Amino acid sequence: MSKLARVTLPSALRYRGGWPYVSWLLHRISGIGIVFFVGMHVVAAFFLYAVQGVAGDIANALTTFYESTPMQVFILFAVLYHAMHGLRLVILDMFPRLWEYNREAMWVQWALFLPMFLLPAALMIMEVTI
Amino acid sequence: MNVKVKIRRFNPEKDRRPRWSEFRVDAQPTDRVLDVLQVIKENQDGTLTFRRSCAHGVCGSDAMVINGRNRLACKVLVKDVGRSIVIEPLRGLPVIKDLTVDMEPFWRQYKSIKPFLINEDDPPYMERLQSPEARARFDDTTKCILCAACTTSCPSFWADASYVGPAAIVQAHRWIFDDRDQGAQVRLAILADGNGVWKCRTIYNCTEACPRDIEITRAIREVTRAIVTGEVS
Ligand code: FES
Repeated sequence: MSKLARVTLPSALRYRGGWPYVSWLLHRISGIGIVFFVGMHVVAAFFLYAVQGVAGDIANALTTFYESTPMQVFILFAVLYHAMHGLRLVILDMFPRLWEYNREAMWVQWALFLPMFLLPAALMIMEVTI
Repeated sequence: MNVKVKIRRFNPEKDRRPRWSEFRVDAQPTDRVLDVLQVIKENQDGTLTFRRSCAHGVCGSDAMVINGRNRLACKVLVKDVGRSIVIEPLRGLPVIKDLTVDMEPFWRQYKSIKPFLINEDDPPYMERLQSPEARARFDDTTKCILCAACTTSCPSFWADASYVGPAAIVQAHRWIFDDRDQGAQVRLAILADGNGVWKCRTIYNCTEACPRDIEITRAIREVTRAIVTGEVS
């Protein structure tokens, strides 16, 4: 019986919690994304400096991957989103009374996030150098 | 109007895995989903199993996942969920049969926060009096009917069943902020534990799911604040 109590990832994702839930899921995804990105840096550096020989190719391949424009745009998204979502939660956690303004706080979060993300992302995609 | 109802079934005596059953029912737009289930049980499949008692949103026995969200079947109208209704048992609690889940883990969480008046003073001759303002302090959390809709909508609870869950914290809030009670510090100590309020990630699923519109996340954070500051105000 207890086997049926386990909530699988697909079943968790199917839950319709509404915007607050989606927003939290993005927070988690961006968090995992950041860990992967930083992890790739560490692994590439390790291969480059600690292991001699063919490992240099792996390091180069990894570096080319995370320095590619899509990855850079993704990491910009992940770091900015994670930070802004986190800040909203910190504020709401510290002042429980603001609970009823969660929706508005989410709008503010997006209103700040979108220009901060889209402008640099557009520049990166158009390869504008300053 | 003709509605299609898909129900996730599980009969421990026959099924090895949950399965889906589909029914077609003639319903009024103003019928409740609970009425639809009742019609299916009476006319189409007597083995369909679900809990219900008051049918008026008071007893909290018919919380289930309706079209992907935790709700009370007796408080949701057919017109609000459309012609196609998908019903599943609550997530995270063991299924006994069909839509009936084993609430025992939920009651254990509830009991763990000592949901009763703790007051060592001699009882007065009449009742213990309280000002309307003091009563209003915890009014919101007295609305809880222990239906488990909040706890079973919480990803933290899905991931870790040892988390005490939003419902138990709401119940604790109801006593912690009651000025007739003297057990606040005891409950705060229980909830300061690793399985207490710190597992809340401010996801708001509980608040969205509550059929009584309790401001659950706010209650959880008020308790957190009381733990951090040591002050109950
Ligand atoms: S049957 Fe009592 S709350 Fe729905």
